Amino acid sequence: MKRSFTTLTEATLITAVVQNGFGEVITDALLEVGIQGSTIHAAMGVGIRERLGALGVAVDAEREVVTVMVSSDEVDRIFERIFLAAKLDIPGMGFMYATPLLQAATYVPPSILSKYAG
Amino acid sequence: MAKKNAIRFGDYIQAMAVDTQKVPFQELMPEPLFDRHGNEHPQRVPKMKLGGGDVVKVLQPYLSTRFIDQAKAVVPLALYLAIFQYAILQTPVLDASIISGGLFAVMIGLMMFMEGLKLGLMPFGEVIGNTLPRKLPLAGVLFIAFLLGIGVTFAEPAIGALQVAGSLIDPVKAPYLFTLLNDRSGATVLLVGLGVGLAAVLGTVRFLRGWSLKPLIFMALTPTLILSAIAFNDPELILIVGLAWDCGAVTTGPVTVPLVLALGVGVASAAGKGADSSLSGFGIVTLASIFPVLGVLCLSFFTKYTVSSETIIAAAAEIKSMAELAASQPEWYEVSPWTEVILGVRAIIPLVIFLAIVLFVVLREKMKNAFITYYGIILAVVGMCIFNVGLTYGLAKLGDQSGGLIAGAFASIDTISASPLYSVTVGVSIAALFAWVLGLGSTLAEPALNALGLTVQNLTNGAFKKSMLMGAVAFGVATGIMLGVLKLIYDFHIMYILIPGYTLALILTLLSTEEFVNVGWDSAGVTTGPVTVPLVLAMGLGFGNALGSTEGFGILASASIGPIVAVLTLGLYVQFKVKREERRLERELSQEGEIA
Repeated sequence: MKRSFTTLTEATLITAVVQNGFGEVITDALLEVGIQGSTIHAAMGVGIRERLGALGVAVDAEREVVTVMVSSDEVDRIFERIFLAAKLDIPGMGFMYATPLLQAATYVPPSILSKYAG
Repeated sequence: MAKKNAIRFGDYIQAMAVDTQKVPFQELMPEPLFDRHGNEHPQRVPKMKLGGGDVVKVLQPYLSTRFIDQAKAVVPLALYLAIFQYAILQTPVLDASIISGGLFAVMIGLMMFMEGLKLGLMPFGEVIGNTLPRKLPLAGVLFIAFLLGIGVTFAEPAIGALQVAGSLIDPVKAPYLFTLLNDRSGATVLLVGLGVGLAAVLGTVRFLRGWSLKPLIFMALTPTLILSAIAFNDPELILIVGLAWDCGAVTTGPVTVPLVLALGVGVASAAGKGADSSLSGFGIVTLASIFPVLGVLCLSFFTKYTVSSETIIAAAAEIKSMAELAASQPEWYEVSPWTEVILGVRAIIPLVIFLAIVLFVVLREKMKNAFITYYGIILAVVGMCIFNVGLTYGLAKLGDQSGGLIAGAFASIDTISASPLYSVTVGVSIAALFAWVLGLGSTLAEPALNALGLTVQNLTNGAFKKSMLMGAVAFGVATGIMLGVLKLIYDFHIMYILIPGYTLALILTLLSTEEFVNVGWDSAGVTTGPVTVPLVLAMGLGFGNALGSTEGFGILASASIGPIVAVLTLGLYVQFKVKREERRLERELSQEGEIA
């Protein structure tokens, strides 16, 4: 008997590197539209203080990295949502990017599995 | 399967809703520079040119979040006092514009000071904490921890409140109290600092050796209580006891705790004991609030045996006449904003110099990000100066005023013509309730308590919930402040609160487990922030003056014993509940075993 294993396709990973405290702002904005499963990592950023000169003191060197996996179909909408929620149009606030994923796996509800079975 | 020429739904939505524009990332990269041989030439990070709008956008969240943090602590307290005064005591706030200006200065000053502390002083503490234990033997590290303890005490914002309080004391009624807070205030703060330094040393050693906190508490408290009892029986020193115990509550503020902890944690991790560093902070805070009491008591005994009260009264009169003389033609540094500025500079600069000497001379380390550090230090000094001005005109004035007016609820005072406003029973209950709510509100607003609550919840695996701890501490502080106010109303001595309170706390300590002892004794230290301390101190003094009692100290002291008893009691209850649950489970398991 063959083992059964399910992988998910057409998934994109969005990563946002933002100032301390904005990680939760992003996850809240995502939860509002029903997207869960984001992860917040703590990190240190380097360089923005040098670029901003004296204004650099207003930028926290401690960063939060938010990663969230979304469907490739929805990526633009969510990408924009995160950008606006984290106020990334302000200098020094952070940056974000999206990377296509080869494959992903997690718990898949049986109702969906049965749709693709056979 | 998607058809070959179909459009993705997401693309369609995006195209309909947003005007997208694509810019190659190349535009954001600096042009690479090569020399003749084709090697890459180093170049500096290009500076970003920002327009005015962007500067505002960058600064606005930076300033507003930090300002709101402080406003959250100050505004509700001030509003509570003002509304209470207006509604219950039927007196509008006098000098309201000066007081609001002062409170605004407190918020701005604290905001700058806290940011400066984080950017300017904490990096020193972290570098020293990480490298010192590797470069110096343990004795050297402990010596520096000791000196650091003294330095941070002078830099503590609330310590300035003691000097402000000192100017309100009548030298004839309480000569020794007067001298300790006026011409000898430097010595008093130094002794408090020595206490904190000793606590830092003992706390670090305790953590390295894994000593239990219980015997340390007994060893520290027994001589303190005995000395208090001796002072209590001495008619000239009886008034010192309240001040001495209040000093313990002043020390554990926003400068001492993180800097001393950074060193303690550094030592611990260098010794390979960093794993349970969550517990390392506990103990230092406790000892740092007991030893200063001992120090101030010792100083008062020393003063008593070397100087007679007549000399002090004479000296006080001299000081007064000199002050009057000076008031007629004051030097520039004796006029109000400048005295506060000098106090502020005197508080921070020695600590910075000490840290710099340790870092550059002893450790020969370099400071990374020197610009940010200098900015932080300047911010801390400026913030401290503004805070000191605000302390005089805002917090101390407001506390003094409402303290003096509350007495009008049940006694006849000059400032309210219709006083007493209520019958004695109602008036005293109003004053007690006012104090209780004040304690509860100001404690729950303290951010340090929130952090402690989270730590405790993690340490006890959720058996001791955060809300439970916060509730217990707030209840304890509230009851303590109420007791302190009642002490002033009925004019009984602070020892009648301290002796039963600490006896109860010691008995509970014997019964409790080590974790709860750590948490319980430390909870007293986290509650006394830089806003609460001056306000409560000034309120007590104003209240005491209006009632004609000789000293208004002791409210903070009784506010520190309250949470200890409350948390230890709650801890015993939680322990009991957990044990009962375990026993029930065991019984069920054994029954199941019998059935099987």
